[in-house]
Amino acid sequence: MGKKEKEFQIKWKTDLPYRYSIGKLAVKYFEELKNKKIMGSKCPKCDKRYMPPRAVCANCFIEMTVEDMIEFSPKGTLVGFTVVNYPFIDPNTGGMRPFPYGYGIFKLDGADTYMMHFVDETDHTKFKIGQRVEAVFKEKTEGDIYDIPYFRLIKEEEE
Amino acid sequence: MPKHNVAVVGIGQTKFRSKRRDVNIPEMIYEAVKMALDDAQMEPKDVDAILIGNMDHFEGINFSEMWCGIDAAPGYLKPVVKIATGGTTGSSLGICGYYNVASGIYKNILVVGWEKLNEGGATTGIITAFDPVWERPSLAGALGPLALMANIYAARYGITSEQAAKVTVKNRSNAANNPFAHIQMPDITLEDVMNSQMISYPLRLHDCCPQSEGACAVIYANEEETKKITDNPAWFKGVSTAHYYTFGCDDLMFDLPTAAIASKKIYKKLGIKDPVKDLDVAEIYEPTSWSELSWTESLGFCGKGEGGKLLDEGITQMTGELPVNPSGGVLSTNPIGATALVRFAEAAIQVMGRGGKRQIPDVETAMGMGFGGSLWTELAILGKDPKPLR
Repeated sequence: MGKKEKEFQIKWKTDLPYRYSIGKLAVKYFEELKNKKIMGSKCPKCDKRYMPPRAVCANCFIEMTVEDMIEFSPKGTLVGFTVVNYPFIDPNTGGMRPFPYGYGIFKLDGADTYMMHFVDETDHTKFKIGQRVEAVFKEKTEGDIYDIPYFRLIKEEEE
Repeated sequence: MPKHNVAVVGIGQTKFRSKRRDVNIPEMIYEAVKMALDDAQMEPKDVDAILIGNMDHFEGINFSEMWCGIDAAPGYLKPVVKIATGGTTGSSLGICGYYNVASGIYKNILVVGWEKLNEGGATTGIITAFDPVWERPSLAGALGPLALMANIYAARYGITSEQAAKVTVKNRSNAANNPFAHIQMPDITLEDVMNSQMISYPLRLHDCCPQSEGACAVIYANEEETKKITDNPAWFKGVSTAHYYTFGCDDLMFDLPTAAIASKKIYKKLGIKDPVKDLDVAEIYEPTSWSELSWTESLGFCGKGEGGKLLDEGITQMTGELPVNPSGGVLSTNPIGATALVRFAEAAIQVMGRGGKRQIPDVETAMGMGFGGSLWTELAILGKDPKPLR
């Protein structure tokens, strides 16, 4: 073990822009999100209600159209939670994702699938599986995924 | 039914570490491939075809088989196919290699999985694997969802963080017997795990797998070729795959239902009635300590909610009835594109009796497991012969 070897490095920074086609159902979703409504898909055959909306029911392999979309309640039930407490680069922004943040899996009333999203609580002792949660909308919605920046835990006395 | 029986006849793995700055990607792949060729006493010209796999977004590269699969893996003038299925990349490689030889397309094949996670970021790379509109904005790579799974599992069955910590102590103690394992913490205690930093409740630092760099190469051959190469092969008895819904939260998949589906399918095919009695060792893909407890249940090693009890009774320890992860498992080594292939390779090593200090005595039948994607499971069962158990 001699003196520490000097590391040879070549550095560069890359900017890689992408544009995604989001599909007709997502267009409808974001149009309605601007009106503070949450829309999902309903299978015309088996009646399964999907969040997020999508074009095909995996069980039936049948197409679900914009006409098959239905509105879900912004309220739901918490099934599991964590508080993310580690650093990483967010590929959607290119910068570090701010942490810690609350993160939950919940089922919206009326939906058959679950969703995961930010929760505005970073103390894990404040969460309780089975408690009610509610989507919080930005005051001025823009038809963007961040129109619901997070869900909030509903306190028992509010019920 | 396969047209040909298929055996593992050569294995190479690099010593896994957090950083391999001394080599570039092809140089690292070459190390494992050369070891596998030497192990099977084969020349590059003897190999029929190459399957190579990793998750390119972890390194910020693309179509890397073009510049890694020709000289580093001996693909010159040969078919080279890339496979990338997230965490299951290694098991998809392992299973596709099996199909290619079992079907009679090739008489042998070399499969190689690799990753160099320190060159990018696994969490960032994993996020890019998911739907850019719906899933990326809040996804925290793998550990966030794995923490949710652990949280639901613990609440449902009353599993304690101490029981989870015991998995880490078991696997990292085992890793001390494995010269290829990345994390070497032979003296790790329950307190070390339970006092380590909270990464994502209930996961602490030592409840989580590391990010590793390294490669694993395995050579398969049909019966005729195998006879020429070795009198101590490990035979494939069967493979099984189960994929599930599109999005990770389309169903409540905290206990990995695909593991139950894939294992029931393969146990039935091979006449396995009680995996604890019928299997001699299992190398499972446990990204967290909690996952091992939960997935030993899903794989049918015990009943629902009994994963902690199974461990407490010592059944999954090195000296137990069904040792789980004598190599140290994923909690000790995680070069993602190689991780599940290492599970298959370690199962083969146990069948061949070449495990050195990590060898379980008298292994006849061994199972390897891959986990990844949208909570997918892939399994292979290897043995001293290619026949079903019953």
